[in-house]
This record gives sequence, C-alpha cells and structure tokens, in this order.
Amino acid sequence: MATTAPPESIPAHSDDHAHDDHDHKPAFFARWFMSTNHKDIGTLYLIFAIFAGLIGGAFSGMMRVELAEPGIQYLDTFARWFGAVDPDFNATLHTWNVLITAHGLIMVFFMVMPAIIGGFGNWFVPLMIGAPDMAFPRMNNISFWMTVAGFCSLLISAFVPGGLGIGSGVGWTVYAPLSTYGSQGPSTDFAIFALHLAGAASIMGAINFITTILNMRAPGMTIHKMPLFVWSVLVTAFLLLLALPVLAAAITMLITDRNFGTTFFDPAGGGDPVLYQHLFWFFGHPEVYIMILPGFGIISHIVATFSKKPVFGYLGMAYAMVAIGVVGFIVWAHHMYTTGMSVNTKMYFTAATMVIAVPTGIKIFSWVATMWGGSLEFKSPMVWAMGFIFLFTVGGVTGVVLANGGVDDVLHDTYYVVAHFHYVLSLGAVTALFAGFYYWFPKMSGRMHSEFLSHLHFWVFFVGVNTIFFPQHFLGLQGMPRRYPDYAEAYAYWNEISTIGYMIMAASLVIWFANIIYAFTAGKKAEDNYWGEGATTLEWTLSSPPPFHQFETLPVIDEKAVH
Amino acid sequence: MIALIAAAAMLGLGYASVPLYRLFCQVTGFGGTTQRVTEAEAQTVAVASKTISVRFDANVERGFPWEFRPTQTTDTVTIGARDMTVYVAKNTSDTPITGTATFNVEPAYVGKYFNKVQCFCFTEQTLRAGQEMRMPVLYYVDPAILEDPEARDVEQITLSYTFHPIAGETANGLDRTASGS
Amino acid sequence: MIFGKHARAASRSLLALGMGLALFAAPQAATAANPAAASAALAEQAQVDDAAVAAEAQASEASAPAAPIDRMKPTEGKGMPVAKGLGLQDQYSKLGGYGAWIHDAVLMPIITVISLFVLFLLIWVVARYNRRANPVASKTSHNTLIEVIWILVPVLILAGIAVPSIDLLAKQFKPAGADALTVKVTGNQWNWSYTYPDNGEFELVSNMLNLPNYPTINNGVRVVKTDPSDGPAQLEVDNRLVLPVGEPIRMQITASDVIHSFAVPSLWFKLDAVPGRINEKTLQIDEPGVYYGQCSELCGPKHGYMPIAIEALPRDEYNAWVLKQAGGVIDGQDEAGQAADDAAGAEADAPAEGEAAQTESQANDA
Ligand code: HEM
Ligand SMILES: [Cu+2]
Ligand SMILES: [Cu+2]
Repeated sequence: MATTAPPESIPAHSDDHAHDDHDHKPAFFARWFMSTNHKDIGTLYLIFAIFAGLIGGAFSGMMRVELAEPGIQYLDTFARWFGAVDPDFNATLHTWNVLITAHGLIMVFFMVMPAIIGGFGNWFVPLMIGAPDMAFPRMNNISFWMTVAGFCSLLISAFVPGGLGIGSGVGWTVYAPLSTYGSQGPSTDFAIFALHLAGAASIMGAINFITTILNMRAPGMTIHKMPLFVWSVLVTAFLLLLALPVLAAAITMLITDRNFGTTFFDPAGGGDPVLYQHLFWFFGHPEVYIMILPGFGIISHIVATFSKKPVFGYLGMAYAMVAIGVVGFIVWAHHMYTTGMSVNTKMYFTAATMVIAVPTGIKIFSWVATMWGGSLEFKSPMVWAMGFIFLFTVGGVTGVVLANGGVDDVLHDTYYVVAHFHYVLSLGAVTALFAGFYYWFPKMSGRMHSEFLSHLHFWVFFVGVNTIFFPQHFLGLQGMPRRYPDYAEAYAYWNEISTIGYMIMAASLVIWFANIIYAFTAGKKAEDNYWGEGATTLEWTLSSPPPFHQFETLPVIDEKAVH
Repeated sequence: MIALIAAAAMLGLGYASVPLYRLFCQVTGFGGTTQRVTEAEAQTVAVASKTISVRFDANVERGFPWEFRPTQTTDTVTIGARDMTVYVAKNTSDTPITGTATFNVEPAYVGKYFNKVQCFCFTEQTLRAGQEMRMPVLYYVDPAILEDPEARDVEQITLSYTFHPIAGETANGLDRTASGS
Repeated sequence: MIFGKHARAASRSLLALGMGLALFAAPQAATAANPAAASAALAEQAQVDDAAVAAEAQASEASAPAAPIDRMKPTEGKGMPVAKGLGLQDQYSKLGGYGAWIHDAVLMPIITVISLFVLFLLIWVVARYNRRANPVASKTSHNTLIEVIWILVPVLILAGIAVPSIDLLAKQFKPAGADALTVKVTGNQWNWSYTYPDNGEFELVSNMLNLPNYPTINNGVRVVKTDPSDGPAQLEVDNRLVLPVGEPIRMQITASDVIHSFAVPSLWFKLDAVPGRINEKTLQIDEPGVYYGQCSELCGPKHGYMPIAIEALPRDEYNAWVLKQAGGVIDGQDEAGQAADDAAGAEADAPAEGEAAQTESQANDA
C-alpha cells in the first residue's frame, strides 16, 4: 500500500477524464430514473430529502399552529384535509396523532437519513476515497427508489382509515399494543410497510458503503488516512447494518400480530408489549447516532478547511465515532426508564448512557482545538459548523440530564425530551446538513451561492430554531407531556413563543430557496477548489461539478499526506 | 457478503429475541416473572422461621366479560412453606368463554424467589355462560430470598394476574380497546 | 387573528431567549422567583377566565370551611404548572425534593457551565484566531496531554453526577412495608380507575372534567361542573385519587387495554401502566394538597384528555373519606362498625393510630 506520489499529480489525472466523459451522459429518463451514477443518485436523494422535509415540515407547522394557544382550533380542519368526513371529537384528536407520527417518521427516515447518507454519502464518499463509483451501482439505484416507495406508502397511510380516524396515530416509535390491536384499519400497516421499505433500502445502502469503503480506496489511502467523513459513513453503515434488521424483525412481528393472529407483543398470547420497546430502542438508539455521525464527519472537514489546519486528533476523532457506535448498542433502555425496570437495570443503563458523553465530548473539544491556532475564515459553511458545535453541545448536555434514571422519572415523555432531541437533530443534524450543503453545493452544481444570503439564512434559522425549542425545556420541566394537542393554560406562554419561533424558522427556509435560485441564475461559476488551501480532500482536485465519471485512473495518495 | 450475513444474523437475532427474552425472564425472574417448580422440587425446600406477606391482585382485560378476584387480599406465609390461595372467576356473559392469564410479581426482583407449584395460569381456562369457578394457586417463597441483600427487606410480595381472551377470541368480536372500529 | 396576536407577541420571543439565559445563569433563583412571576403573568394577561376563577376562589373561601371530606380546593401554583414557569414544579413528595435538588443543584449548574464554556471557547477562537488576528495557521494537530485531560475531566464530572443519581435510584426502589396502604391504578382508554384493595376493594373511575369557558374542550362530551373547588382546565377530574399524606403508599399501576403512564410531576412520580402486568412503586406525599398529572404514554386519540388529580389528606380525613365510599372499610370495618368502635371508647382508635405512627417512623428510618 506504500505507493508514493507527489500530491500535485492528482489534479492532472482527473482533468484528463473530465473532458473525455462529458459526452457519455445517458438521456434524461435513463439518467435520472435508471441512474447508476453515484453523483446522480446522490442528487436524487438530496432533492427527495428536501421534498420530504418540506412535507414533514408542513406537518410540524400544522402542529405548532394548533399548539399556539390552548384549546383545539384547527385540528378539525386538518382532519378534513386527510379525508375525514364530519370527524367526531375522537377523529379530530386522532388527526393530531397522525401529524406527530408522520412528522417523526418523515423527518427521521425520509429527510435526515436520505439527505446525510443517501445524498452526501453517495456524492462524496467515492470522491473522497478516489473511487470511480459505489461498489454496487445498481443496488444503489434500487435503494433510492425503495426509499421513494416507502415514502409513498407513508403518505398513503395518512389518508386511509386507522382506527378512530383517518391515518396512523401510533407515534414514530409505533409502540405495541397501540400499534397492534389498538389501531384497526389499514393505515398502520401502510406506515409499517413504509418502514420496511426504508429499512431495506438503508440496509442495502449500508452494505454498499461498507464494500465501497473497504475495497475501493485509492492506492495509498489506508484506513487511517481516510477522510473523517468517510470514517463517519463507515461507522454509520455498520450501525445501520446491525440495528436495522432488529427494527425489521420488530415491525414484522407487529404486522403479523396485527394481521395473522400471532401474539409476539400481545399479553393475551403470552407476549410482552415491553419487549417491543426493547427491540425498538435497540434499533432506536443507534438510529439517533446514525442521523448525527455523518454530520460529525462533515463538521470536521468544514472546521479544518476554514481553520486552514488539519483536524486535531484525527485518530481520536475517528475512534470516538467508533466508540459512540459501539457504546450506542448497550444503552437502549434509557428510553424505557419508566416501564417498570428493576433498580439494577436502571442503574446500569444510567451509568452506560453517561459513558457516551465522553466520546461526544472528545469530538466537541477536538473541533475547538482544530480551530485553536488556526487562521479562521467565516465563510458560510463555517458559521453553520460553529452554530452546530454550540447547538449540539446544548442538546448533548440535556441528554446527560436525561441519562439519570431517577431524574428521567419526571422528564420522560415531556417536552424536555422533545427539546433534547430537537437540539441534537433539528438544530444538530439539520444544521450539519446545511453546513454540508453550503460546503459542497458549488462542488455539486458548479455555481457559487450568495455568501450574504447564506449568512442571513444561518442567523434567521438560528434565532428561529432556538426560539422554537429553547422554551420547550421550560415546558418540559414544568411537566407538559409530549404528544398532546391541547394543554393547561399555564403552558400557554412558552407554547406561543415556540410557535413564533417556527415562523421565524420558516422564513429562513425562504432565504435558503432564494439562495439556491440565485446560485442557479446569477451565481458565479465555481472553481475546482473554491475554498482554497484549507480544503485538502480529493473532491477538491476535481472540477466543479465533477465529471460524470471520475478517477478512471486511480489517484495515488502520498504517504505523508495529512488529512 | 460478510455484511449480508451480519444483517441476516441481526434479523434472526431480532426474531430469536422473543423466545430468548421469555427464557431469560423465566430463568432470571427478570421483570417479575415467577418460577415454576414441580411437586417433587417443592418437597425438598427447607422451611425458614421467617414470614412474609403476600398480596393477591386480579385484573381482566378491557371488555373481557369475566369477574375475577382473589378470595383474600393479603396473606402472611412462612418462607419456604407451601401455601395455597384461591381466586374466583365468573363468566358474566351468556356464551362460553376461554381465557388465559398473564402474571407477574412485584417488586420485580423477587420474581426469582416466587415459586408456583400449581397454577390456573399454566393452562387456558374455559367458563360456561354464568359459570363461577374457584382457581387455586399453590406456591411457596424460596428461602434463598433471605440471603439476597437486595430482596431481604421486602416485606410484601404482590402476585398479580390478568385474564385475557385467548388470541383467537379477539377476532370473535371482543372489543379490546376503545379505539376498535 | 391568531397571526396578528403573534405579531404582537413577536417582541417577546427575544425576551424568551433572554430568560433562557437567565435560567442558565441562576437556576435556583429562577425557580424561587416562579410563583411571583406567575402571579404577575396572570395579572398582566388579565383574561376573563382568570378573573372568573379568582372570583370563584373568593366565593368559595367565603363559603368555607366546609366539612374536611369535601373536595379540596387546589392551591394556585401548587401541584400544577405555573404560567411562564421556567423550572421544575415544586416538589411535595419524600423523594421529589431530593430529585429536584439533583436537577437544580447538581445537573443544571454543570450543564450550564459546560454549555457556557463551549460558547466561550467558540467566541474566543473567533476573536483570537480569525484570519486578520492570526494570518498564519499553526499546524499543531496533536497534544497528548490535552487529549488526556478532556477525557479525564468529563469522566470525573460524570462520576460525580453518578453518585447522587444512583443514590436517588436506590432510594426510589426501597419497597414499602407490609402494612403500607396499597392503591391500584388502572389506565383505560381514556380515563383512570382507582381501586383500594385495603379499604374494601371499592373502585373509582376518574374522567377529565370540563370547565366552563372552554367550549372547544367541551367537545369532549363529558360532564361539565362548575364547582368552585375545581382546578385548572385540562387537569381537573370528576373523581380524584384520594390518598393519605405522610406515609408510604404502595402504588400499583396497570392498564386494561394499551400502555398508559401514570405521571404526577410535583410528586416526582411516573410509572407506565402496561396491560397484562402490574408495576409497583412507593409514593409518600409530604403534605395535604391537590396534585395534578397527566397520562404520559401515547394511548390513542384522547391521550391528552385523561388527567390525574390526587387529593392528599391527613390520615383521619382520609379514613373519613373512605368510609363515605360505597363499600369502603377501614381495618376491615365499614362506617357503622367504626362508629360503634368510636362509641366504645378511645381503645379502638389508639392501636390504629399507633400503627400509623409506626409506619411513619419506619418510613422516616428508610
Ligand atoms: C450526550 C449524549 C446523549 C445522551 C446522554 C442522550 C440521552 C438520552 C436519553 C436518556 C433519552 C431518553 C429520554 C426520555 O425519553 O425520557 C434520549 C432521547 C432521545 N435522544 Fe438522546 N442522548 C444523547 C445524544 C443524542 C443524540 C446525538 C441524538 C441524535 C442525534 C439523540 C436523539 C434522541 C432522540 C431522538 C430521543 C427521543 C426519542 C423519543 O422518545 O422519541 N440523543 N436521549
Ligand atoms: Cu437514546
Ligand atoms: Cu395516554
């Protein structure tokens, strides 16, 4: 593996191919519907994720507007939108549960995961390791279309009967027995099927990434030289591979409990509903890290690029992610502190959960140390990355609070938990997504976005999401339960503020779209390496956008090259 | 390839978790699962000099047309000695109904010391329309409880049962939740 | 309509963040200031409903003192959320105070300091290492000492948190004594039923109460009452769970259909109601009062409409209440029996009281 070559030789290689291959793009239908090109599939994933995110975001907007003041104001109207005819009170309230279920499932399975793994993963993992494409291009295509099919199944579920109303109102956690004998009608079956499709797609994606990363690295790129984003996708892929089958098994048992008379989770047949929760969270906790690890990778590159320094403690960063992945599999029951666990179990999970904070801390401090001594340039990706570091810290520390089994007794299933996971996801993973978007958008599209609009987008978004979610800590501490369409008068104040925050956040998305439109209509043409000397990974050696087929002659990595 | 096998293995593990979990609960008493012993085993247990209070609790699933109650709320039993309690179940509907009972004990960590020699919960029970039946439970508390630092201070153990319609019965129109359609 | 209102309130959103920081800075102080802030808020909003409640409050005070076993009037801000509240609800159970202390005095300061520390570091690198201040980047990418420090210090902090946290768990799991009162709570779609196996097995079904002036809630088709002692909308019920104060109570929780969760924030109590099994936990309430809670596990459409109201009474008032329930007995005797005993003299009472005292002292020992 110890091939040496001067790094300057890399751009020369790839430039050659840029010209050869431009002519070989397939026609429109074949290119976009039967695509086997990792960049095109990545683009499809990103467009899909934006679209799904808008729908999921619309659902959360409906929720926030209903929660703006006490009482039930709009739910009845929403119920009619989903096709309810003259909904009674139950059907109206059921619509609330449909909103929370659809919002959660869409954002997790059809927005964050497709964007960060399907989108950025597909686009940049092959580029960063110097591979011409993914290992299994056709499987890649199938993964994408299965994700789309899953999304359709989920949308269908919102419009067919699901018990006392239209749609599936079981929560993104799909707890039995509410999801089995507690929800009649086909809707919940469609929702579960959506998870099957998305899950199968992700497992195939994971296999694809693992194979690609382990077998298709350019000569000289040893495991310990891989860019951190590649590391993060590798760890994520292993988490997916080990966690998703457990979800698949659990929800398949739900389906058979629902339709074929089995009683895996039905006490009447000797089943145990709490077992479903164990299975779900055995998947669910790794899942939350699946959503954030690639974000960690993106942030590492951005921080290094704009500090003009190599990442501090590269190995520590890489193995912190591995540690998070491993420990992530032994902490699941911290989501189940109130199910009636015994004291020893609760103590164990309290201690194990707190351990996760250590590698998480390593990441945060290493990012700061990367900036320390650097020559910082506050381009758009960098402000998003710095915003990420702070917001993720706030989300992480509330996680440490929740980790305490005895304290969780008062916070579990309140808005405090909602605030926690939105700080790490909506403000963490999504901020990392935007950071990655601004970092790589010109590389993907060939056009520069407006720095001014990007900064404006950041600040409006930052104020918006904090206004939405920070007050939810207060609501949670005061005891407001989650998944409630209505609440006691005392909770009105912070709920109203939170809804205002939503509107600010929504405005920031308008700025974002304006920015994209600007880039495509008036944006400057992007150079190969538009961020300059700090950007050192292989994608910067290619043109922007990169040629349809890249690295047909593999680039060779200098042994002494830094990450 | 290896990845595929790993995925398949985890999938298998997911399914296997159901019987494994049941076995795990039975062996360790996790979640308050009681132990089942034979008459012969029960004979060999030494009787301790200490007593412990046992509480009896009965529930039926929503919509299940049985009345089900213990004949005594609590009982003080000698640890290690066999004791019997009786539950009474009555079918208040006008058709025969078969039910099955789930059970657990609280505090959950003493489940491993609660031994049942004979219990109506081992099998399905059928009651004719209007029939009332006395259902005995023969049990003892394992003296090992006195050696367990965690369980030693437990003064009262609750034995709880819930009757459910057997799985097939659900389809026959018993409304098990308010969200049924 | 609603949007116009938001425009007006938009200015308050910045205030929200400001107050957030205030909380970070001084959790204790903020919590202490809550009641004041709450009443100020009420006054400021001056909503018709509040005025009505206040009027009712006065009216009921005038007509008090009713018989002690009548429905208790809740105290504003006690056992319920307070408007604009920032911290935990005040705690009224044996372990709640400890739990709240861990949160307010251990966890909040630590996480506040950590968050501010990271914020400070970010601001510092922005100020010190921006391109103009530091045109040439260093190439340092390793420093073993600092890497060891940032592993060790978090480990120590977490170990420090773990000590009281594990201690709290151990205390929470201390089982109640053999003669502690046992109460069974069953979660149903969508109400709670409460059974008193030690007091004659009688059962109460507790549904959410609708209050006037809340037309949208009355959609829920349940009884509407206008009793002056009714608590906040969405939290008050028709039949409260009545419990004695000052003694450990064995709370047994189960469900008859899907999973629910029995949660009362001001008593530091939350335990899932799982069909087919019973869960148990000890609760000891410090002082009389009405404490509100809500179902905390998604259980279907009316999940938000099955609140919990606990009315905690001194032991003798609790006994009197039990005897008024159909089938209610104390120590195996119904109302008539108890009356006979009372007539027979103080003897009957004495052992009972002795017993109660004993339980209490045991609890204190624990
Ligand atoms: C410092 C590390 C973290 C710790 C100690 C931690 C701890 C916890 C705990 C104890 C809960 C359960 C709360 C409850 O339901 O009562 C929880 C919930 C949650 N956490 Fe974290 N967490 C951490 C980081 C993260 C990260 C990085 C993510 C995702 C990016 C995340 C996402 C979530 C989600 C989605 C839930 C709620 C799931 C649900 O109930 O619907 N957490 N966390
Ligand atoms: Cu978790
Ligand atoms: Cu509920």
